[in-house]
Amino acid sequence: MRDTYLWLLQLVTGSLIIVFLAVHMVMMHLDNIVGFFGGHIDEPSFWSSMIDRATKGWWLTFYISFLALVLYHALYGLRGIVLEVTPSGRTERVVTGMIWAVGLGAFALGVYAPVHLFTR
Amino acid sequence: MRAGSPRENYLGVRGWVWAGRYDLERYLYTLHRITGLGLVLYLFMHLTVMAIVRGILGEGAYEDVIDFFEHSVFKVGEYVVFAAFIYHGLNGLRLIFQELGFLLGKPKPPIYPFRDSLRRRRPLALGMMGFVVVMAAFVLTDFAKGGP
Repeated sequence: MRDTYLWLLQLVTGSLIIVFLAVHMVMMHLDNIVGFFGGHIDEPSFWSSMIDRATKGWWLTFYISFLALVLYHALYGLRGIVLEVTPSGRTERVVTGMIWAVGLGAFALGVYAPVHLFTR
Repeated sequence: MRAGSPRENYLGVRGWVWAGRYDLERYLYTLHRITGLGLVLYLFMHLTVMAIVRGILGEGAYEDVIDFFEHSVFKVGEYVVFAAFIYHGLNGLRLIFQELGFLLGKPKPPIYPFRDSLRRRRPLALGMMGFVVVMAAFVLTDFAKGGP
């Protein structure tokens, strides 16, 4: 039953990532297309634009939520593939432990910069 | 009689590509895995670079890195990542619809000549792949105009 809920969470995070990623990609990369539809985005990769976003609580919440969703989806998917290609079922506990360690480390790494910039 | 082990017919990574008569959906699934693995790799590189240059090194290093990634080789790579996102996202959505039984029509009793599940799934797969191509072409126009 636990695996069913974890799989369901994989489907939910996958669906939410499509929405979050679309916002991120349009903001960061598709300014020409936004301009075509009459919108305007200041050059998003400039340091000043990045700092402007980093000091807004809304963007901080957005990026931390996005990071959590992406890490769960990516690492649960990776765990499934690793368990499939691992010759023995006995390795499951080791693989799950490693995935947890990598996930927590990556979350701490990913959260560090936005929180540092928000609070400085 | 000994119970069969689920690993007896296990083909490993080779089985992703060929184990007999695979259909279109099986290859879409293989490509889903390959793009997924590529995106995981990109995610960790992106997280590491952004954490170091934004959180530790500061403005000068950040602008140097942004300038460095303006090179056309990285622009092509960026588009490949973008296309992989589009494929993985839309094909994933198709798999979710399929798993939850959306867009597959109402269940019918299996009375001959019945439409089997594959024939119900195929239009969804083809439609979604058409959408992937349109989206990838749409984004390509932005890159061709010299997007950031």
